Parts: sequence; structure tokens; C-alpha cells
Amino acid sequence: MHVSVTLTIAACISGLVIAAEVLHSGHVAVVHTTALLPFSGLSMVLDRFGALFVAVSAMVGICAMVFRLGYKGHGLSSRTASCVLPLFVTTLLLVPAASNVTTFLFLWELMAISSLLLVLVDHRRRSEVGSAGQWYAVMTQFGAAALLVGLVLLATHTGSQSFAAIAARSAHLPAWVRGSAFVLALVGFGSKAGMVPLHVWLPRAHPEAPGPVSALMSAAMVNLGIYGLVRVGDGLLGGGPAWWWLLVMTLGALSALFGSLHSATSSDLKRLLAYSTTDNVGLMLLGVGASGLFASTGHRTLALLALVAALLHVVFHAAFKGSLFLSASSLQQATGTRDLDRMGGLLRRMPMTGTIFLVSSLAMAAMPVLSGFVSEWLLLQAMLHGLPSADPAIAVAMPIGVGALALTGGLTALTVVKAVGIGLLGQPRSTGAAEAHEVGPSMRLGAGAMATLCLVFGVAPFVVVPSVVEAARSITRTRIPDPLVGGWQVGLAGVHGVLAPGLLALALVVAVTLVAGTRRVLQRAPARRTQAWGCGRELQTATMEYTATSFGEPLTRVFEDVLRPAHDLDVSHVAESRYYVEAARFHTSLDDAFERHAYHPASVGLGWWGALARRVPNGSIHRYLAFGLVALVVVLVVVG
Amino acid sequence: MRFTALVRRLRARPVALPPADPGAPEIQAAARRNRGSLQLRHVDAGSCNGCELEVASIFSPVYDAERFGMRLEASPRHADGLLVTGPVTRNMADPLRKTFEAVPRPRVVVALGDCARNCGVFRGAYGVEGAVADVVPVDLEIPGCPPDPQAIITALRGLAGT
Repeated sequence: MHVSVTLTIAACISGLVIAAEVLHSGHVAVVHTTALLPFSGLSMVLDRFGALFVAVSAMVGICAMVFRLGYKGHGLSSRTASCVLPLFVTTLLLVPAASNVTTFLFLWELMAISSLLLVLVDHRRRSEVGSAGQWYAVMTQFGAAALLVGLVLLATHTGSQSFAAIAARSAHLPAWVRGSAFVLALVGFGSKAGMVPLHVWLPRAHPEAPGPVSALMSAAMVNLGIYGLVRVGDGLLGGGPAWWWLLVMTLGALSALFGSLHSATSSDLKRLLAYSTTDNVGLMLLGVGASGLFASTGHRTLALLALVAALLHVVFHAAFKGSLFLSASSLQQATGTRDLDRMGGLLRRMPMTGTIFLVSSLAMAAMPVLSGFVSEWLLLQAMLHGLPSADPAIAVAMPIGVGALALTGGLTALTVVKAVGIGLLGQPRSTGAAEAHEVGPSMRLGAGAMATLCLVFGVAPFVVVPSVVEAARSITRTRIPDPLVGGWQVGLAGVHGVLAPGLLALALVVAVTLVAGTRRVLQRAPARRTQAWGCGRELQTATMEYTATSFGEPLTRVFEDVLRPAHDLDVSHVAESRYYVEAARFHTSLDDAFERHAYHPASVGLGWWGALARRVPNGSIHRYLAFGLVALVVVLVVVG
Repeated sequence: MRFTALVRRLRARPVALPPADPGAPEIQAAARRNRGSLQLRHVDAGSCNGCELEVASIFSPVYDAERFGMRLEASPRHADGLLVTGPVTRNMADPLRKTFEAVPRPRVVVALGDCARNCGVFRGAYGVEGAVADVVPVDLEIPGCPPDPQAIITALRGLAGT
């Protein structure tokens, strides 16, 4: 196990060093060998845009591996897992450097299969892991098939499979080739990113995967979906007509709303985080779509601003979601459950992990001086500055995008209040939560490092913003001079509105000191600690506490048409009289509307089709001869 | 009561009341602190509900105690003190202590009615723990079984400083 972790960390550190060098100097790292892959050989070119994603994956990889040292259970210490984990992290680092179609698809598939194996490591002990793995396998292979067709379409029409050659020649392709390649790429990368309606594997695979693996998948692998979409849309195809980007924005807004709605109503902590990944991917897609839409109508500065916002959100989302998944796994390991309704009182029992979870949740809710705020603010700025545009597509899309972003922000805040309030505060709701102890130092270090990054990125975004701007410029090939306002502030030249998170942090510290100082001066008597007021009742037990399910219930009611909760009330009466109730049992469940209305009928239809097909080859030699005869007749008729 | 008398009572302005009773020095200190606003949490520690009827009536339009700045609070956390009625029964002793603990300091406790003062007719009954003063410290007692609304208002006005 230690060998595997050391190897992985070494790979991540070398990836980080190379990525930092590329981001800093702008030189492109190139590797070509003809030996490793048939036909074309392995071809890797790391530009600034790819280097950004390599750096993010390396950052998540290092923290997840440090965390993994202390992580027990979930079958992650098996030999298979120890072998596959370094492979998975390495593919995460290599995918953004692939520079021809074969290399890209090879690494992409390697990443999909290694992550699938890691999701499945615990399948012997828990049956739901197998089902989650099945969903993930189907969705990821469906996406890979779409990618294969899309990229091969581009390669055959441009006559070369190298990305550079495709990018140079793609402008002269017929519109239908460009359009279908883009839509196929959107489907393929969207399924990996967890975009609605291809998100169904996320809320199944993430909760069942071991903690470090779900952190890697949610904070690093999902980003590569965004990477691929921007690489194909802006890089290989060099931008496109407005309808592409309107499609991306629509799906982004849908993902953001659907994801945040489900995460606000889930009571399974890791399922909640998985849906929140869908929500954040939606915001990234909103940024990417807005950027493309601006570029297609000639608003170059706004296009760059929107892309920078989306890429910043990629980086910041990786930091807070990685930390959230890692600390949620710590909570799960300490309490033995991931059901929020069985947690509670954990901030006091696990102060460090609780604080890490709290800080990264606040970053997810886009609270100022934490990372999520900067990227969402920039995204909002980009979309708001598009409002005065004369172009009808922008005039319609931007207000809807702003509305979706605003509603998502509110729902995310609700999610965070629920997760922290129910999970960390109050009294423990189960013996597991009551007996929880703080986890080991390496787990705290791994999650804490990422939470610290959230704070650093939020207070001093200038440590990453220049690199992100350079990455965005390198992929869109725009030459907007001096894009950054610079210093402590964040904003683009040519767009009004700047943000100074450093000053905000300073103001916050001053305000807190002032309030605390005033209180201390004005306080006449020392504070008195008494029991929480519970209407004077003798016994206060955890069953009287608010639960995550009840917290989400009003929202479930408001959005009943979308969420369609299923209620089930079983009442049994005593034998003598039906006026006396013997026992009552209430059960409520909330499953995914897309799963129920699209995927379930599709899988039933496929099963029916399969059963029908199985009837054809029944083993009778006469029937096979008849088939041969019919086929021969058909061939003769067609040819003759 | 005759019908016309009832109509006259209903049409009457709030009852004119005698001036406030300044009370003992501690009560006067509390009145200076309260400055015309007295928020009380009512605890029924085992009353026969006779006192409750009188408490309800002082907040009726006839007596309108709210014009003297006094209100009943829903939570002891928001209250200046407790208004306790009835003898303290065994089941209510602990909740009374907890409610008292929940009131922020400085706080006052008013024992309303003879039962609250000395258990009244329930003295020695098997379910009675004792008078209010046996459970929590009492600052002001209002005698009567039940006390007259005017007497309640006069006493509480002293506490409110109005």
C-alpha cells in the first residue's frame, strides 16, 4: 500500500512541477514515441490549457493520497486497488496532455476502466456497489462511444488525427460535420462531467466508491469533461455558431438547478455531494457556453472573462469538493454511516474534521473570502455585462443564466446549512455518532490541505488567476492585451467591476474584531451557560431533533412537480377494532426524475428487445437453414 | 347579571385602576430596571385554572394590562421573569426549575394566588411538592383565591414601574 501511495504522490509531484513550468513559462512540453501505441504512436503535447488541468489533478491527487494513508476499510487496501490507484491518478495527469485522437481515446478509456475498478473494490461486501458500478460502466462507455464517433469524424474529414492538424483544418469542414462532432463531444464529455441528463451514474457511484476515489473522481476526473469540451469546442473547432453554445448553456443551467435541488433534498451525505458536483459542473458549463456565445457574436473580452470564470470554478471546485469528499469520508469512517439523519454533534467530537468540512462547505456556498465566491462572482459579472448586448441570443440567454445562477446559489446555501447544521451540530442521533472520534493525522492533513487552499484561493486569488487567464488565452487564441486588472484585485481590462478579496478579508477581520471587542467592553456580567431551552421537558433526546429529511421537506413540497417524492404510509390496526392503530410506518423516498422517466423505460425496452432477440437463435438447425435461405434470396433480389 | 348591565360592561372603557403599588425596595429596584416594560413567562405549576382565568382577564379589553407595558412571553429566553400559578406539583417541579434556569438574569419570580404562596387548599396533598418559594426564589407574591384582576395589575405595575 505504501509503495502505491508513494508512487502516486511522486507522479503527482512531477506532474505538478511540469505543469507549473508550462504555466509559468508558456513553453510547450512535447513527447512523441512510436513504440507504445499501434498505428500512430503516443503523442503528448502539454500546453498552458492542459497544464492547468494537470496541476488541478496533481493537487487533488497529492491530498487524496495523503488522506488515503490513514483511510481504512472499503477494500482499498486490496492488491487490485493498490495497483489500479496509481494508474488512475496517472491517467488523470496524462489525459490533458494527449495530442492526437488515438492517444486521447486510449488514455480516456484507461481512466474510465481504472476508475470503474476502483468504484467496484468493495463489491463483495455490499451488493449496491455492483449496481452503482454497472450504471457507471454503461454511462461512461456510452460517452466514450459518442466521443469515439465524434473524434473519428473530425479525423477522417481533416485527414489527420493530430490535434494540431485538426485545429488548423477544421475551419473548412462542412457545417454538419462540425455540428455533429460538437454535439457528440458534448454527449461524451458531458457524461463524464455529470451533466444532466447524463448525470445518473454520479449519485450512485460517488457514494459507493471509497473516500479518496470519490474525491479524485469528483474533484479531478469530472473536470476532464469540461477540459474535453473546451478543447474540442474552442481548440479543435475554433468556436462555432451560437446554437452550440446555447445548447451548452441550457444543459448547464439545467444541471445547476437539478443538481442543487437534489442536493438540497438528499439526506445521504455523499449523494448530496455527488449532486452538488452536477450542480457545479452546470455552473462551469454555463460559463463555457456563455464564453462561446460571446465569442460567436464578437464580444472577445466578455468571452475571455466567462471562460476564465468557468476555469477558475474548475480549480476552486476541485479544492472545495475534494476537501468535502475527503472530510465526508472521515465522518463516515468515524460514525459508520453516511446518512445525515444518523449523524449530529460531530463538530464537538471531531473538531478538526468538522472545521474542515465547515470551511469547504462555506466555500461551496460561495461565501466571500472563500474560493467559490470569486469564480461565481466573475461568472455573474460576465453574464451581467452581456445584458446590454444587441444580439437577441445573448439578450435572452444571459438573464436566464443569471437567474439560474442566483437560484442555484440559494439552494446551495440551503444545502450547506442542512449538511452542517444537521450533521455537525446538535446531539448525536445514533450510537455511531455518539462514539465518534477524531480521525488520524494523515486524513486530517489531506483534507485540511485542500480546505486551506479554499481559503488561500479566496483571499488571494491572484496566485491562480494569471495562470488561468493565460490558459484561457492559449485555448481561445485571443490576444487581448493585459487582461488582468492585477494586484489584489480581480477583474478584466475592458469590463467594469473589480473585486478585491484581500480587502474583503481585511474588512471581515476588522468587523469581527470590532464586534467581539465591543461586546467584551459592554458586557457587564460573564456569560452564563445553561441547558438549551426545550420547553422544560424532562428528557431531551436526539429523536426530538430536526432531521435532514424534515429540513428538505418544505423544498420537496415546493418542487413537488419536479422531484415527485414517493410517500408510503402503512397503518396496521388491532384485530378487535379498526379504530385502534397498532403500528404506523411512514416511508418517503426521492429518486431521480430522469432515472425514472428516461432511463428506466429505456432499460425495460432494452430488456424486452433482448428477450425477443434471444428467441431467434433457438438451436434448431432447420431454422438456421431457413435464415440462410432467406438471406440468400434477399441478396439475389438486391443484387439482381 | 342583567342584560343591560352586560352591555354596559362591554361598552365601558378600560376599567380605571388605582395607582400602582410601589412595593418593597427590591421591587422598586426591579421597576427601575424594567423601565416600563415587563415581559413574563407564565408557568402553571399545578393550578386549578382559577388564576389562569384571572390572568387571561387582565389582558382582556376590559382591564387591558398591555397599556402598562406588561406582556406574556412564549419563551423564558425572552422574558424578564416568571409568573407562577398553583401549588408546585411533583411533575411540574423540575420543569419549573428548568424554566427558571432558562430566564436571563436579572430575573423576577411572581407567585400568583394563594396556592402559589402556600399551597392553599392543596397543602399536604399527595401530588404536591410545595409552594413556589420551596422550588425557586420568589420576589413578589399576589394573594387571593383567585386574586382580583385589579389586584394583579396593581402589583405587576409596581414591578413594571408604570
